[in-house]
Amino acid sequence: MRIINLKKQLGRFSIDIPYLALAKGCIHGFIGENGSGKTTTAKLIANILQPDEGQILYDGLEPRSITMSSQKPYMLHTSVYENLIYPLKIRNIKPDEKAIDAMLQKYDLYEKKKQYARSLSSGEQQKLSLLRTLIFQPEFVIVDETLSNLSAESLELFENLIWEIQKKRCITWVLISHQPHIINELCDTVHFFSNGRLIESGRKEQVFLHSQNPIVKTYVQRQAFGLLKEG
Amino acid sequence: MDIINEAMRIFTDAGIGDAVRVTLAMALASVTISAFLGIALGILLEQCHFPGKRILIRINHTLLGIPPVVVGLLVYLLLMRNGPLGAFALLFTIKGMVLAQIIIITPIITSMVYSYAFTTAPAVRAFAVTMGASKWQTQILTIKEMKYEIYFAIVTGFGRAISEVGSVMLVGGNIEGRTRTMTTAISMLKSQGIYTEGVTLGVLLLVFAFILQWAAESFQKRELENENY
Ligand SMILES: Nc1ncnc2c1ncn2[C@@H]1O[C@H](COP(=O)(O)OP(=O)(O)O)[C@@H](O)[C@H]1O
Ligand SMILES: [Mg+2]
Repeated sequence: MRIINLKKQLGRFSIDIPYLALAKGCIHGFIGENGSGKTTTAKLIANILQPDEGQILYDGLEPRSITMSSQKPYMLHTSVYENLIYPLKIRNIKPDEKAIDAMLQKYDLYEKKKQYARSLSSGEQQKLSLLRTLIFQPEFVIVDETLSNLSAESLELFENLIWEIQKKRCITWVLISHQPHIINELCDTVHFFSNGRLIESGRKEQVFLHSQNPIVKTYVQRQAFGLLKEG
Repeated sequence: MDIINEAMRIFTDAGIGDAVRVTLAMALASVTISAFLGIALGILLEQCHFPGKRILIRINHTLLGIPPVVVGLLVYLLLMRNGPLGAFALLFTIKGMVLAQIIIITPIITSMVYSYAFTTAPAVRAFAVTMGASKWQTQILTIKEMKYEIYFAIVTGFGRAISEVGSVMLVGGNIEGRTRTMTTAISMLKSQGIYTEGVTLGVLLLVFAFILQWAAESFQKRELENENY
């Protein structure tokens, strides 16, 4: 996927990205301060927002196979189970209830299968949102801070899930996160946002260890990305 | 025994039964049509952006505040024999009353649906896009996600329909057994000094209102109690 001359004005904030390439089959990290435009860019990619100018070249990706798990997951006014199978339902795929039960069990949501989704804790809602995002085997997945409220244990489960999917199908990911751990463990490349601009983009080692940009340097130090091992 | 007999006599009184029947028929018909119109208009109004949209919303709000008796008068003028719709012979019929009620109730349902859609539909649409829903699937989801609010709007409209007097009196003409509703019967009985039947109808209306209120409240409660903020 390539983004070319993308511009979007939202109130007094503006996104302006001359060029950004998101290589297929890689795990990309979007990082940067709060309010730097990560979510907005993600929404533009996911077709939730329309750009004012410029274009996003999907390079053969079907719009229907791009998905995003939002920083504030939208829970349908129904049960956990119905939420989980919604993407299957609209594709006329009959859910394999046994497999789904096993999945719920693994992520500790099985007891809550029939429960009203909006009564889940925020961490549980995030887990559900992620599973729902992945259940229809999308090709391009944006995870917008959806891993931020997970316990270490759940986080590990999801990291493993991402690795598993990568081994099997090698899809493209965009992870938006402030957690050094997630970026360090998972991402191949990182893209640094500041005030609606993309100020650094490249392999994570390069960005974290060799960036000359003072904004990036400060952020990396504060967020302890320095822990990153070289090589 | 006397009281029971008296009660039985009143409740089986043909006049009262007719008034209840006319009221319910009129309310059901007008609310059904208004619900379709109001839901569609409310949702379209939220989704479409066009010049004059603000004015349309303002007109809708004005219609909310218009005294029903004025609507009754307008519909009367439309339906009277040499009025523009005179040929349809709808004056002094339930159909005519339904027309007046639709004009009164549709703006209520429209504005309730619109204001709820305004706050919730954008998030539903964003979610639907991420799930890969088609346009049509997104519309259905939007309505489903507001179903309790829609029930609430419908119940509110029904409450308005059964309690309406002025427009119904003007357009329906309060003809016994045909267009006499519970409310117009009450006002007529009172003017004749007949209180027992009037009070009976009043109590029945109160019971209806209570049931509606209870239904509406239970929709709202179910929503709020189960939310984890
Ligand atoms: N609809 C909107 N109207 C006005 N400003 C907006 C809108 N959406 C986002 N913004 C602004 O854009 C900036 C970037 O937001 P966002 O992309 O969510 O940042 P983040 O990098 O933290 O995800 C914020 O300052 C936010 O206030
Ligand atoms: Mg964000």
